[in-house]
Amino acid sequence: MKKRMFAMAGVVFLAGCNMTNGDQQEQELSDLTWDEITAEAEGDTVRLYMWGGDEGINRYIDDYAIPALKEAYDVTLERIPLDTNEIIQKLETEKRAGQDDGTIDIIWMNGENFKRAKENELLYGPITDQLPAFEEFYDTESLDFAYDFGTETEGYEAPWGKVQFVFHYDSSKIDEPPSNLEELSAWIQENPGRFTYPAADDFTGNAFLRHILYGTASSVDTLLEEPFSEEFAAGESAGMWVYLNEIESNLWRGGETYPGTLEELDRLYSQGEVWMTMGYNEARAESLVADGIFPDTTKAFVLEDPGSIGNTHFLSIPYNSPSKEAALTAINFFLTPEAQLAKLDPQYWGENTPIDPSKLDGDNLAGFEELDRGATVLSQEALLESFVPEVDAAYVPWIEDEWINEVVSD
Amino acid sequence: MKKWIFYGSAFLLFFIPAILLIVKSFTPVWRWGEPFTFDWTLRGWETFLMDARIFDAMAISLVIALVVTFLNLFTGIPAGKALSHSEFRGKSALEVLLVLPLFLPAMAAAVGLHITMIRLGLANNWLGVAIVHLVPTIPYTIKVMKSGYDRLNPDMLQQGKMLGAGGWHVFRTIELPMLMPSIRSAVFLTVTISMSQYVLTAIIGGGNVITLPIIYYPFLQSVDDTVMAAFSVAFAILPVLAVLFVELVATVLTGRFSISKRGAL
Repeated sequence: MKKRMFAMAGVVFLAGCNMTNGDQQEQELSDLTWDEITAEAEGDTVRLYMWGGDEGINRYIDDYAIPALKEAYDVTLERIPLDTNEIIQKLETEKRAGQDDGTIDIIWMNGENFKRAKENELLYGPITDQLPAFEEFYDTESLDFAYDFGTETEGYEAPWGKVQFVFHYDSSKIDEPPSNLEELSAWIQENPGRFTYPAADDFTGNAFLRHILYGTASSVDTLLEEPFSEEFAAGESAGMWVYLNEIESNLWRGGETYPGTLEELDRLYSQGEVWMTMGYNEARAESLVADGIFPDTTKAFVLEDPGSIGNTHFLSIPYNSPSKEAALTAINFFLTPEAQLAKLDPQYWGENTPIDPSKLDGDNLAGFEELDRGATVLSQEALLESFVPEVDAAYVPWIEDEWINEVVSD
Repeated sequence: MKKWIFYGSAFLLFFIPAILLIVKSFTPVWRWGEPFTFDWTLRGWETFLMDARIFDAMAISLVIALVVTFLNLFTGIPAGKALSHSEFRGKSALEVLLVLPLFLPAMAAAVGLHITMIRLGLANNWLGVAIVHLVPTIPYTIKVMKSGYDRLNPDMLQQGKMLGAGGWHVFRTIELPMLMPSIRSAVFLTVTISMSQYVLTAIIGGGNVITLPIIYYPFLQSVDDTVMAAFSVAFAILPVLAVLFVELVATVLTGRFSISKRGAL
């Protein structure tokens, strides 16, 4: 009798564990067919948490995605504007407090934030193998989706968009933009005070420095393959500091100060103080020109050597999402060619798609090929040709610290 | 003469920037050296109105700020009085302790309080947000109210009591009217601070409580001065509304009696 009681207690205990881990529900959800999932999702509300500081992106969600999702699946999408850092922070605390019914259904993120979320087991998944649109229209084997800034995704996030780093310049002042680091350096010498870059702790400034690192390291391939270590990074970066110190005296204000953020650099460019700006999104100048903030003569260029760093950004479901079926339905919708084509349209977001064009049929493909992304956006060929992937995320804080020592302090 | 200096500097330092901000919200970007052409645009305000939740957000910001203000005065006035009018052991240590929350990084406070709020069931709830807004506001209110009471001679309160007035009567008719300048500054500080909280609201409100800063702050990360100006103008109206409301409540509370008395002083 006593033995049986023990066994019973054990079973109850195990069941309890299962419940708190949410395994039981996950088990059930992954057993469902896609039709059952969308049927479950009907009438539900999905809360998409995402950074809210871009009018075009907000409009894409509010004016396009919300009505389209309601119409197709009877799922109500709500867009909650919140910085990604705060979203992850909130989930971490909820996890610690054992709150299993959260408020977030979908998060938009990549890189450092994903690494943090995955390491702390804040995500539900894997999800990508449950998304028919991912299986049908995406290159599921692609390394772009398998790794996110060096972190293995393992299906915990589904690719939503793709961006590449480009420079923008005022073509009324510059005839021929530079195409490699030597030409850039020469141009800076000839036009003192007309170029600068955001400080290394800015997202864009750090990405610019990684381009210099790519161009001055012994080889881009070893940089990408070799795991990060301080010794290796120090050896590879020697050329980068020489380059940066060489151009420094001819930067804006003689390199005595750097714009703290990309916004400050954009403001300098908008005022005509500097003649180039840059950014981690090949289409971002389109709306700035349309709104009269950037001059009409703004054009884009990439450095053919070392290339243009690009990355993919993703959608994930938190472990405590109250409506995972509806979240899957919404993510699948965002991955479809229709939703991706609308996202590419410059009147909304204007952002590139991670879809594999070879998997599209005639009508869908024609839609993507015919869409005019605008005069400030480089051609798809030029972007693809110069594409280089991101290096290990550990380089980001390392460059940030070393830049202060090597460039600012002397 | 002195008045001239006051009006002159107020005009230069306050009025002109405020007017420029309003003009900016209706005009496109102007480049240095370009002639002044006023191509009026509604784009800034269109972006402001684009998020359908903007008026709800303004309303909830206002409600939270008023609740925070009430809680601040409710605790700050007695605390200020105690620190000013009574002597007890460890008083200066207590004073320092009460200011300490101001030196705590908002993120640290938010994370620690979040767990407590989850346990109390106040996370993702506007009341929880209002309570958390006490962290960066109450230290100021206590400081302000303490210096308010420092200027109020305890003998005056004693006199009221000797004439047979109860505690509430004394508060309503002597303390409140005489503390009004301090209360005004405390209210203005509290409302403004409460309305500019992003991190605390984001973490504790968890996206369920959409206040104006939640919609507005992400737009600060752009070069679009027109949009930023529109948001800033709307943002500046709210504290004014809140202060007017508190002023109204104070007038009702002190009643006619206090006004006639103030006239007699």
